[in-house]
Amino acid sequence: MSGEDCDVDRGDNDGQKSDKMFTLKKWNAVAMWSWDVECDTCAICRVQVMDACLRCQGESKKDSYGKQDCVVVWGECNHSFHFCCMSLWVKQNNRCPLCQQEWSIQRMGK
Amino acid sequence: MMSLKPRNVDFQETWANLKETVAGVVGLRAVERAVWNTRFSDVYALCVAHPEPLADRLYDETRNFLEEHVSGLLQRVRGTAPLENNDHNDGLLTRYVTAWREYSQGVAYLNSLYSYLNLQHIKRQKVSDAEIIYGSAATACSPDQDSRQLEVGELGLVIWERVLITPLASALTGRIVSALSEARSHPPDPTSADILRQAIHSTVDVQAFRVRAPLALYQQLVLEPYLSAASGHHAQFAAELLHHGDISHYMKHVLEGLEREIALGGRFLHASSTEAVRACYERAAVAAHLPALHAETERLLREACDDGPRADQRRSDLKRMYALLKPLACAGALRPLVEQAHAQAARDGRALLAAPHARDEAHIHFVNSMLALHGKYSKLFGEVFDGAQAFIGALDKACSEVVNGRAAEAGAASRAPELLARYCDALLRRRGAGAEQEADDKLAGAIVVFKYVCDKDVFQKYYARALARRLIHQLSASMEQEESMINRLKAACGYEFTNKLHRMFTDVTVSADLNAKFQQHLRENNLSTNTGFFIQVLQAGAWPLGGAMAPLAPPAQLERPARLFEAFYRASFSGRRLAWLHHLCTGELRTRYTTRVYHISATTPQCALLLCFETVDSAPARELRESLQLAGDAWPRHVRPLLDAGLLLASGDGEGSAPDSGDDDGPHGTLTLNLNFSCKRTKVRLTCANAPAQQGGSGGGGASGEGNEVTHCDDDRKMYLQAALVRIMKQRKVLRHTELIQEVVSQARGSFAPSVAMIKKCIEALIDKQYLERAPGTLDTYSYLA
Repeated sequence: MSGEDCDVDRGDNDGQKSDKMFTLKKWNAVAMWSWDVECDTCAICRVQVMDACLRCQGESKKDSYGKQDCVVVWGECNHSFHFCCMSLWVKQNNRCPLCQQEWSIQRMGK
Repeated sequence: MMSLKPRNVDFQETWANLKETVAGVVGLRAVERAVWNTRFSDVYALCVAHPEPLADRLYDETRNFLEEHVSGLLQRVRGTAPLENNDHNDGLLTRYVTAWREYSQGVAYLNSLYSYLNLQHIKRQKVSDAEIIYGSAATACSPDQDSRQLEVGELGLVIWERVLITPLASALTGRIVSALSEARSHPPDPTSADILRQAIHSTVDVQAFRVRAPLALYQQLVLEPYLSAASGHHAQFAAELLHHGDISHYMKHVLEGLEREIALGGRFLHASSTEAVRACYERAAVAAHLPALHAETERLLREACDDGPRADQRRSDLKRMYALLKPLACAGALRPLVEQAHAQAARDGRALLAAPHARDEAHIHFVNSMLALHGKYSKLFGEVFDGAQAFIGALDKACSEVVNGRAAEAGAASRAPELLARYCDALLRRRGAGAEQEADDKLAGAIVVFKYVCDKDVFQKYYARALARRLIHQLSASMEQEESMINRLKAACGYEFTNKLHRMFTDVTVSADLNAKFQQHLRENNLSTNTGFFIQVLQAGAWPLGGAMAPLAPPAQLERPARLFEAFYRASFSGRRLAWLHHLCTGELRTRYTTRVYHISATTPQCALLLCFETVDSAPARELRESLQLAGDAWPRHVRPLLDAGLLLASGDGEGSAPDSGDDDGPHGTLTLNLNFSCKRTKVRLTCANAPAQQGGSGGGGASGEGNEVTHCDDDRKMYLQAALVRIMKQRKVLRHTELIQEVVSQARGSFAPSVAMIKKCIEALIDKQYLERAPGTLDTYSYLA
């Protein structure tokens, strides 16, 4: 009975206007971000780039959960490292540790 | 006034006068002031006499006089009584004390009379204290009054000891000891008590001036004989107590006896003797009966822990036993008590855990039992054993044994981490109003239990998963509580342990901020998502979420907000990649085709599926699946709840029409929108009940999930151990096997208890990888290869 009514209703709606069968009230989305890198390990400290580098991990023991200060840096060669690791590295040798090209920063993670 | 100049002095005459006064002084008779002054000058005159100082002669004469005087006193003291009999009431002690009082005071005065001699003549010869104590063999031997002159006061004391005490020694000792023995049972009247005390202290005073072993005479005459007599008495006393009553009776009276004995010693003996008196008593009355005491420990502990009628009494018994055994602790007397205390707590704990309980409340039962155990025994041990370290240690050991007790099947991992994590999860989830404080207390309790859990890393995995679920689905009761719990765990286990938990927590706070900014961005640009939109952006690596980022072609309604947000996110951050976790997203739909409006909340794929029926009433399952691009096993998982709720109907041709087998064969059937859908409630939740099964959820996903958990943990542990090994070896370069194992175990203890076999495997692996080598020429030493 009621089903019949509904059917009729729906037919009407469909025909006349684009009134919906369903309305979406709200969407609770969950997304995950990660650095857009080819290799997910920093070749200098051997820690995943998603984690803070070794040095920062050691220091942040003091001020509990710090902000994500330990960002990723990409070179022109498209190799990526922790920014902290790389800034120490270039003091010794201004080349990418993976491909030996002259190091210049293409972009920084934020 | 006489002149101070040296002059000729007639020794005989002067000494005769002096001697008379000396006799008066020593006998405590009245000496006139004028006479005293004259004699004082006489001493001076003799000492500085011309042509020859007469000091030595004066000294010798004085000595002779005193010897004679003391001999006279000896006769007086000895009286007529036979010395051999040790009757302390025969008056000898009284006479001795009277003579001593008189003589000691007299000699003190005499010392002042001779002060010029003492100062000018004797001091010069005197050997320094340091020489007496540390000096050469010649001076180190006991100072002999013949070879060396003493100050006159000291001389008097030495003569007293030699002339009077030596002959009376055994008589005095016998009387003192018997008087003390009697004083133990019948307190003497004040006068005789006074006499006894003075007699005893005279043996101290006589040698008080000596630098070396000033108490030697006291020890020889009083203390040693007394102690040997006393220990006989104590032994008999204790044996009788044991013979006539049970152990409680014995302990009670022995303790009282100890008090009595110390009081007696304090009253009559020298203050330095308290320890000796106590030790003597303990040796004779307690140490001799240790086996009898130890035999009862188990029963006493058991009865003290039952809530039986005698529990209180047993507690006082144990208190006494501890008081008795504690002084003998260094001889190991406490060890059996500690061991029994440990065994009792462990036994009790196992019994508590084994008590029957509802199956789905295993976690509550577990934590409550452990807290009850810990609380009960902390209180008991604190009260009975003064909270002594040894017993706290025993309790800790027992608790950790019980907490980590393996399940009955051999080799099964302890369920403690899982149960505890479930307990915390239940407390932190949203619940009825109030009870905040209560939950807080319970969480603090959970930390108490947590400290005993060995496999803290396993706990962390369970906890992290539960936390992820709470945060993503917004099930937390309060964010403050979540944070404070993470901080508690951090306090217990350190930064490393809670690092990921913190990051998860931070992501949620950052996300709230991000949503606000996104909404503002939309307003500023006159954009709209057409639908309510809330997003959580999580950082990869911190969340224990099963991989599957299922590709999904979202319906148009979802695509728009997704695109808008992606654009916004890309503009806000750089170098980041965003992936949608559709299986965790939820949508809220409102039905328009039913008589009543239903609010349906469902996962994104489910929403997408429902939205497919916007234009058609039924469609072949295969087609639907392809349009949603849901992978093999994800399809039935998402469709199943829709069928169960009755929103969709599976029907169809041939095989796969029945809902049961429809799971597997869904693609072959047809799905139809149930236009007659009705439900008692207007809100229908399809969300997370079944969807997160792939995450190895705590409840249903049981066996396989747990198996994965263990192997996963094992891998993590191996990594952890290898890292620890390399760190240690890098620092130490060369290390023996046993020391290395010890160091690793102590480093790992914070998060788990590694087995030696596993450490060995890790060492082998590191040798293979050429981080370490066995030091050449040794069997058990490793060295680090840089």
